Order: sequence, then C-alpha cells, then structure tokens
Amino acid sequence: MTSAPHTSTANGVRLALLNNRLEGIARKMANTLLRTGRSGVLSVARDFSCCIVTANDELLATAESLPIHVLSGPDLMARSMKQFHPELRAGDAFLHNSPYHGCSHPADHTLLVPVIDANGRHRFTVVAKAHQADCGNSIPTTYMGSAKDVYEEGALIFPAVQVQRGYQNIDDIVRMCRMRIRVPDQWWGDFLAMVGAARIGEREMLALAEEVGWDTLDAHARDFFDYSEQRMIAAIGRLQGGSARSQSTHDRFFDTMPEGGVTIGATVNIDSARAMITVDLTDNPDCLPIGLNLSEACARTAAMVGVFNSVDHAVPKNAGSFRRIDVKLRRNCIAGIPEHPTSCSVATTNIADRVANSVQTAIASIGEGMGLAECGAVIPPAVGVISGIDPDTQQPFVNQLFLGFSGGAGAPHADAWQTIAHVGNAGLCFQDSVEIDEMRHPIYVHRRGFVPDTEGAGRHTGARSIFVEFGPLRGSLEVGYVSDGAVHGPKGVRGGLSGAPAAQNRRRVDGSVEELPPCAQVTLAPGERVLSYSCGGGGYGPPEQRAVEAIQHDLDEGYLSPDRAARIYHVVLIAGRRIDPDLTRRRRESI
Amino acid sequence: MRFAVDTGGTFTDLVVEQADGTLNMFKAPTTPDDPVRGVLNTLQVAADGLGMSRRDMLARGEMFIYGTTHAINAIITGNTARTALVVTEGHLDILTLREGGRTEPFDFTVPYPEPFVPRALTFEIPGRLLADASELRAFDDAAALNVIARLRSLEVEAVAICLLWSIVNPAHEIRMGQLLAEHLPGVPVSLSHEVNPTPREFRRAASTCIDASLKPMMRHYLRSLEERLVAEGFSGRTVVVTSQAGVMDAAAVAEMPIHLINSGPSMAPVSGRYFAIADENSDTAIIADTGGTTYDVSLVRRGHIPRTRETWIGQPYRGIMTGFPSVDVKSVGAGGGSIAWVDEGGMLHVGPKSAGAQPGPACYGAGGTLATVTDASLVLGYIDPDYFLGGQMRLDTDAARRAIDTHVARPLKLSVDEAASAVLGVATENMVQAIFDITVNQGIDPSTAVLVGGGGAAGLNSVHIARRLGSRRLVIPEIGAAMSAAGAMMSELTSQYRQTFFTSSDRFDMEGVSAVLERLERRCDEFISGPGAGSFEQRIQFWAEARYPEQVWNIEVPLPVSRFTTKAEVQALVAAFHRAHEEIFAIQDADSGIEVIGWMATVSCCIRRKEGSSLAQPDHLESDAGSRIAYFDGVGRVPTRVRRFEALRRGETVEGPAIVESSFTSVVIPPGASAERRPSGSLSISQGISRATRSIQ
Repeated sequence: MTSAPHTSTANGVRLALLNNRLEGIARKMANTLLRTGRSGVLSVARDFSCCIVTANDELLATAESLPIHVLSGPDLMARSMKQFHPELRAGDAFLHNSPYHGCSHPADHTLLVPVIDANGRHRFTVVAKAHQADCGNSIPTTYMGSAKDVYEEGALIFPAVQVQRGYQNIDDIVRMCRMRIRVPDQWWGDFLAMVGAARIGEREMLALAEEVGWDTLDAHARDFFDYSEQRMIAAIGRLQGGSARSQSTHDRFFDTMPEGGVTIGATVNIDSARAMITVDLTDNPDCLPIGLNLSEACARTAAMVGVFNSVDHAVPKNAGSFRRIDVKLRRNCIAGIPEHPTSCSVATTNIADRVANSVQTAIASIGEGMGLAECGAVIPPAVGVISGIDPDTQQPFVNQLFLGFSGGAGAPHADAWQTIAHVGNAGLCFQDSVEIDEMRHPIYVHRRGFVPDTEGAGRHTGARSIFVEFGPLRGSLEVGYVSDGAVHGPKGVRGGLSGAPAAQNRRRVDGSVEELPPCAQVTLAPGERVLSYSCGGGGYGPPEQRAVEAIQHDLDEGYLSPDRAARIYHVVLIAGRRIDPDLTRRRRESI
Repeated sequence: MRFAVDTGGTFTDLVVEQADGTLNMFKAPTTPDDPVRGVLNTLQVAADGLGMSRRDMLARGEMFIYGTTHAINAIITGNTARTALVVTEGHLDILTLREGGRTEPFDFTVPYPEPFVPRALTFEIPGRLLADASELRAFDDAAALNVIARLRSLEVEAVAICLLWSIVNPAHEIRMGQLLAEHLPGVPVSLSHEVNPTPREFRRAASTCIDASLKPMMRHYLRSLEERLVAEGFSGRTVVVTSQAGVMDAAAVAEMPIHLINSGPSMAPVSGRYFAIADENSDTAIIADTGGTTYDVSLVRRGHIPRTRETWIGQPYRGIMTGFPSVDVKSVGAGGGSIAWVDEGGMLHVGPKSAGAQPGPACYGAGGTLATVTDASLVLGYIDPDYFLGGQMRLDTDAARRAIDTHVARPLKLSVDEAASAVLGVATENMVQAIFDITVNQGIDPSTAVLVGGGGAAGLNSVHIARRLGSRRLVIPEIGAAMSAAGAMMSELTSQYRQTFFTSSDRFDMEGVSAVLERLERRCDEFISGPGAGSFEQRIQFWAEARYPEQVWNIEVPLPVSRFTTKAEVQALVAAFHRAHEEIFAIQDADSGIEVIGWMATVSCCIRRKEGSSLAQPDHLESDAGSRIAYFDGVGRVPTRVRRFEALRRGETVEGPAIVESSFTSVVIPPGASAERRPSGSLSISQGISRATRSIQ
C-alpha cells in the first residue's frame, strides 16, 4: 500500500531542510558527548543519548542512540521538569535520574536544558543522557539486581533537580554527587561532557530559531510529526494484520523471584485497516523486591523497540510515528509503571529485553517475513563491572568492561548482526580492546572468541556465543554481573532454533572449574579467572531451509562442526567438510 | 620540470610545473584496466598542449609525483593477495570482533561484516607478553613452525603478524618474522609493530593485514610504473602520495603499501592550506571536493591537517576500518550525480544513491531518467549545455527538465524551477551537515574558517554552503578542478615514527620520555640523511598522544620542547593539552592531570624549490562570454552575465548574479555575492547576505 503524499506542497522541501538541521543539532550534541566523556561506559559503550523534545514534551529529533535510551523517557522527563519547575529560565539546567519520573534507571544521569526564547517562553528542551560508571549505589555496580528497594540500592535520586542557574553550576548538587559517587572525577568529567552537549544543543536551537523563526520551527514540528505518522501508517499497511501473544522468561536470580523465573508476556495486535499496533503488557507479574523492575520509560520503550525492529527501518522514530503504537501498561507491574520505593536499578536490560523480545517474536508469529527472533540476554561477567585496588599504585578502580557480548537475532532477510549486545542496545556498543583494558586496569585477558556450534540455527542464523576468560593480573578483583539467559536462552522463531544460553564459571588456581551464580558480586583471588559465555541469538526460519553456500561458509570458517551441519541443517557432506548440493536437496526434500 | 598526477575514479589529472614555476593543468579519462596507460595518455595530452613530444617532456622531468586509488580499489574489489593472519593464542577473533559498533540500529537487513582475512586463514601461536613488556609465556618455535607448514600448504601469498603488546616488546613478532623469512621465503610479511605501532590490537591487526595483502600487487604495480616512465624517457625521481598528506619514494611505499589507502584525497587539504594562506591569509580552512558521487571534506586547523585513525573503507561499521593514521576526510554521497527523490510521506531527498558515470544524469542522454543534481543545475541555467567539459559533451536540457518535473516537481506540486532549486537546496544541506560533522569532531568553528571549493561541481552551490556556514570567504582556486594533483605538487617528503610509552603528569618519567624522544629523533635524522638527502628544508615535530585520566580516546598535542628536563616543561605540556582539549571539545578540566600513552615524531623534507601555484596564462582571451537566463531562489529567472574564469583580470570584481566558467568548472555567483580574482588566479567570493534558508520560511 502506498499512500498519496500527505503533506502540502512546499513542506516537502521544508521538511527535508529542517529535519536535516535538527538531526544535525542532535548529532552535534552526541559527537560532543562521545568525544568528551570520561568513563568507558560512555565513550566505549556509547551508553548515552541526545535528543530534542518540543515544548509539549514530544520527541522531535534524536542522534543515533541505543534504542532503549530514547524512544520514550525524554518526553516523560521533560514533562516532570515542567511540573516541578513551572517557571523555566534561560541558563537553567536540571539533573534527572529518577525512574519514578521518566528516567530509564538511576545510573542514567540526564541533563535537561530548556530552550527559552527572548520573551522568556519555553520552546524546546534539549536532553543529554549518559550512563555513569557509578551512581552511589550501596555496592560498586550500576546494575544492582539484588536490591530489594531503592533504599537498599542506595543510588542518589534526582527527580529533575536544578543543577544550573544562570549558566552556573549549583555547587551543592555537585558536592553531593562527589561525596557519594565512588569515582567522583569520572562522574565530574561525564557531567561536564553532558553540560557541554546540552549547551551546544541549546545554542544551536537558538541560532536556528534566529534564522528561521520560532513559529516556523513549531510548524515544522507539526508537519514532521504528521509526515512520520504517514510513514508509519504506510509501513504498518505492508504488514500482515493479526494478533498474537508471546512470552519470554527471565531466569530466577533470587529467592524473591518465582520458581522457574519471571515470565514476561506481550500481546501484540496489528490492525492493518486502522494502521495501529497495540502492545498490551498489563498481564504481567507485579513489581518484585528486586532491582530488575522496569521504569515506565523502559517499559514503554522496550515495547516500542520490539515494534520498530519489525517495521520498515526507514520510518522516523518520533512522537508522530509513536501515535500509531499504543502501549498498555499497568501500575505496580514489573513491566509497567513502578511505584516508589520499587528498585529499577537494572531497568534498561534484563526484563526490558524480555519485553522487546516478546513483542518481536509475537510479530514474527503473525506472518512470514515479519518480526525477529529473540536477541540474547545480558549481562555476562565479561560485560560486568570490575572493581578493586591496584596493588602497585594503591588506587581504587571501578569500571564496566565490554569484553565480550554477542546476542544478535536471526532476521527475516539476513543472518544476525553478531555483536548486538542486547536488544535494547542494538549493537551500538563498542567492544573493548584487550590491550586497552590491560593497560587501564590490573587485569589479564587470557582468551576471547566465538564458540563454534552455538548459533541459533535457522534459515537465517542467530549470533554465536562469545567466550572470555579473564582475571586479576595482580591482587584480587571483584566482578559484578547480572547474567540472564543461562536457563532460558534466546528462542528462535518460525522454525528457527534457540541460540546458546549464557554461562559463567570460575577457574581456580589449581585449574578446576566451578559454576558461578547468574547474578553475583564475585571476588577473584590472585590467579583465579572468570569464564564468561555470552548468550547467542535465536534463529529465523527452519534450519533445513538455510542456503547451502552459507552453511559451507560456516563450516570453512570453523564456526560449525560437520556433525551439527548434518544433524541440524540436514546437509550431506562428502570428503569430511564439503557439502554435496544434490544429495542435500534430496535429503531435505524427504524431511 | 615536475609532474603531479592524481588517478581518480573518472579522470586522471595532471599538473605540470615548468622550470619557471608556472603550472599547467590537464585531464584525460582514467583507464581502470591499466591505470598506467591513463597516466601516459594524460602526459601525452600535456605534451600536445605544451607543444613538445612526450619523450622530450619526460626527459626534462626531475620528479614524478603520483597519487593513486589503485590500493583502495584493490581492497574494494577484493583483488588483494591471499593473506594469512597470525595472532596470539586465545585471540583468534580479533578481526571478526572488530571494535563492535553498528549504525542504523533498527535495520536488520544488513548482515554482520566478514573479517578482512577469513577465520580459516587466521592462526594462533603460543606466547604472551604484557603491558609492561614482560613475558608471561615464552614464544614457542615448534608451534610457530607448525603454523608455517600450514601456511605453505594453504599457498598463502602474504602474511600479517599481530601479537598482543608487540608495541612495547616486539620480540615475538620479530622471531615469527625471522622464522617466516627462513621457512617461507619470498612470501611478503608485515609485522604489526612496524606497520602501525599503536595500542588496540584490532586496529593494528587491520592495518597489518591490509598492508600485507597489498604488497605483492603494489610492488609489481609501482615497479611497472617506474619502468614504463623510464622507457618513455623519464629519468627523475618517482614519489607516491601517502594517506598522511606527504610523499614517499615509490620503492619505499611498495614495502609498506598501507600508506597508499588515502593516496589522492589526502592531498586536497595540502593545496587548500596553500590557497587559504595565499588568498585570504588564513591558517584555518575547510576544503570541500565535489566529485560525481561523493563530497569529500577535509580540514586545516591552525596550519596543521588533522588526522584520524578511524578511516573506513566503505560504510562506517559495515566496511573495513584501516586503523591507520590518515588525513581526516569525511565523505558523503552527495555529488553531481546524486539522485533526487520524494518518499511516500512527501519529503524530498537527494542521494545517497548516485546515477554514477553510467547511465549518469538524465541530461547526459545515456539512458538515465532519474533527476540528479547536475540535471537541476542545468535546468537552473547554471551549466552551459554546449560548453560542458569545454564542449566535449553536449547536455540535453529537455531531458533534465523532464526528470526534475516527473520525480520532484509533480510529487511536491512545485514548478520545475522551484523543484530544481529545492534539489540544490537539499544537496547543499547534506553537504553542510557533512562539514558540521567533521568540524565538530575536530573542534573547528566553520564560521572562522575559509571554505575552499575544489572539484568540477564545486562552483554550483558553494556560495550557498558558505552562507550556511557563515564562512568568512569562499575560495575557488583556478586549479581547483585538480585539487589533489595540485596538492601533490606542493607536498613534502614525510615520515612519522611512534612509540608507546605510558607516563602521567603527576609522576612524569622525564628520563624515560627523553630516551623515547631521542630514539624518535634519531630515526628522523636517518630519514633526513636518507630519502631526505638534498632536500631544501627539514623539520621535525614531536607530539604526545595524551588524554585525561580514564578517558579512552587520545588527542595529539604538539610538544612545546624536544626533551623534558624541568617541571615547568611538563607543566607547559599539560597546559598545551588543556588548550588542545578545549579547542577540540569546547571544555577543559583545568584541575586534572594528564596521561600520555604514546610519543610521535614527524619529519618533513621540502622538495620543491618554489612556493606558489599560478596557472600559465592564456593569450588574449575575451572575458565576457555573453549572458544566459538563470534561476535564483527568491529572485526568479534573470539574465545573468557569463564570464571566462581564466580571462578575468587579477583584482577584477564580478557582482552576482553572474556565472564564471572555465573548461573544467562553472562557478555560480548568486545575487548579493561578489567574486574577486586573486593574484594566485583564485576566485575569492564574498557570500553577501544570507538568503540560504528563504525556502524554509
């Protein structure tokens, strides 16, 4: 279905020019933040986002950011800023990390700067958000899965707290953070980077308005939302309509979680005629006394990630296309709207990934060529937070590693992007260099690489597992991680098989190996190492439909054993590793 | 006589410098099946133009300076040697894992990129070094010999070796290299600590693999180039343009062909730097080279050409990262051939798809029907259909109008003129955003820089770009259609040396650093007395690769001294770092110390007797070339004077609306702007009052 161009004449040109300009501003903010950030989580993991929100708190333009950060959240935070500070002035800036007021989770410090015109009127809000290396939790991790509530979690919570007035810092807030955050200089560096990014965004918005006028910008926002909505209508029109419910189970980490883990379900309805996609998350468990509960921002965003992973990727993501997605949430629901003092310490990953996976697999089950298999879960020890005291320098250190993740899902038209990290990150995260990590911290990376025969088999394969073995080079080392997916690995769709589950072990000094719990703060003694296996990703479509050339390639590259090729993909091998296409076709036809 | 040649995708450009310093510019089509033939053809065109035989002309040549896309083309088309990679045991997947990262997070139609060297040709060997250069596990000769036996049976044609921490202790790489030389003689080997001595094993491995894979063919190619030039009568020195905006002897670059990846585009900022100073007395410039399919932006920041290690061949995160320092060039898919289209929501786009050379824009009459930037320019009257490429090709204006009408004007309910103007407006905005991206990353405020426009299509919309940037001045060099060849003519012999050595400002190891700098200086001196012997002037500059503690990315800071002996000198380095950080990132952390990861020395030897770059003057040309009707946004169709570029007098001013034309380019001076011919021959354009966003309101 193609709809007639909806917008009026000259707007097709204005849309192009102004959208380009606004995206350029968001990108300039993001480039500034990426380049100036101090902590690895920011500059390596790209765990940050920049965007522009209208005066009505509608998301207008974003820089390319990890999806879980930005689809919903900036809108909610801007709204709470206005609610708590009805009189906004030029030079104001607000620090926001409250999951009860629109932020994703407390580690995501956000700087909101209202853009004020010459008459003192609030026109836009520019938003810079960055995951911190530490946020003052009771233990040195920003992912505290075990926290039974926000008090045990311990993060300092800032619900849109004013941190600049007249373009000057309010030092009280800065001092509070410095007293409570373990790596105050890193935090301060990242804070400066966020201020720099937000102020650049503000300056550019003022300059753009000076050039084209505020009214033109407002008119553009209206047109662009309408345009984006039309694109979404057209994209939904190309999907097969229908309804499906899909579930995804988070492993059991603690006694406070149900036997068998937490099962998350999403009911998705694609109404092609009305061009609406509804995602109902209300039929899910209540909040639990753990740190895995979703914030409202993450619940909404995770549902939308599953949807946007399943429609034409060229549809712009903003408040206009969002009009065509209805996400139903419930209060006090683990995948809904949490109530204080529920802990949302780990809201951006674990349960959120189960939500997004449920949505995209539900869509896959509605029709061929739709949706996506499950992406792998996180956070394995190789992506955990390490801490300790360097015995040589006596300096304490804490930082998140990004040594080994994979998790990409098989897709309707392509094999997985291997290093997707998790569904909410979408692969934007960088992987660490072994040399850089060994230079920065007293650690030693013994091995890392893909594990053969761990892909989610399918017509299009899911990612393979990545194995990393590392430990302290001198002294001892603490590793904190929250590794979901050891029991419930990433599922395939439409006949595709599951990818490998996660695993983590400790190799003792004598060489023996013991299993480690899925969510823990582990102390490695000198000479010990942790063995971290990331989740693979689910496959899409039946393995016996996989192209012979692709299987041959996997065999040649050592990713696939001949035995698995024959058993799972139903190929016939001659001379050990060569696939015979004719015999294979006959064997596959006889299935 | 000196010759500078740039073999591009479509044309081979040649700039000839006569003994008196005057320059002449020539072009002939590139011949991809045998690029040297295209070079010889261009030399023939020059000989004809200068009224002498090619043999006589070449016999007078002292130096042949060559820029070529041969290396990068070989990589893009997969025509490199069958290369193996040897890595540290336990780290087989360095190349496949890359550094992570992805673009377009919601696009699941793009599969994960294959490594440059397949896993099947990657081998692990035992032995492990650590960051402090100590050996955790010894190298194992027997295991290495097993690997070599497999390399032999697999008939590999080149070998790359990248072992962890070879940058601080190369012993294991050197040993592996010795064993290969002994047991696999004749197969070229590249060692990572020699090719790209930088931490981050992926970048080092990537550079080393690319280097090894290019060796067999580039050795052959450069030897054959030299032989054929000699056979045609040339007896001078042949040097080749490198990615770092310098030149190296052909024989030397054949042994480290990684230097050739950006050979060509890296030279645009060299000529841009010259014209920014000569014409506008500015040491900061943005150089924009408009080709048929891409728009390449590079920079000059306070006299230096910024570099980057994040150079991608192909799309970022989907292509191949070289990891090798190169002139920072930002390329976007915006050029004369970029296609304009309206999406299903009614928004106009220009590019990134291009009509290319085949079928080309609709107006070429070669089967293309889609609307391109060139078609829009023709419709607007900016290009003379009868004088394209000096009249070599006649353009079909009706076909251009039809294409714009069908694909842009009707869907947007605009007149054909308005539609064509909008196409140029959106193309302009794409180019402006590319400039913003690279300038924000390199910390340059575009409004303080001179914009230098090169490439045949630069003149069509550069004034509009200058207006958007608020540029102080736009310069279109007369030789701008051959920017890279002109830059090659001005370039210097260069080399750089690097050593990893960690220290921090609060515990600064003066002795250690001085020893490093001394070693680097010795290598520079060797270069000066070796390849640089007989050069006119030599310079050595030392650099620190530094960062604030916990930062991940480094910046290069020129050292204020060549040795450190006092605390004050260390403080001067810290202060220089704060300034550089503020310049690039707009903030500094004045209370913080710094960490230095590596040290570098760059040596440059001037090999050109004379500065300057003026084209030879034609005899008695009439500068008035009549007038034609052209369309300008907000003004409409107006009679517009056309002037001959080469015939304008020095100091003469042309007020817009006007079009200044040469055989190679067409410069549009819209109403409000004015252009002045500079003594160098350049057009220096004052953008006038900004009207760039009229179409927005």
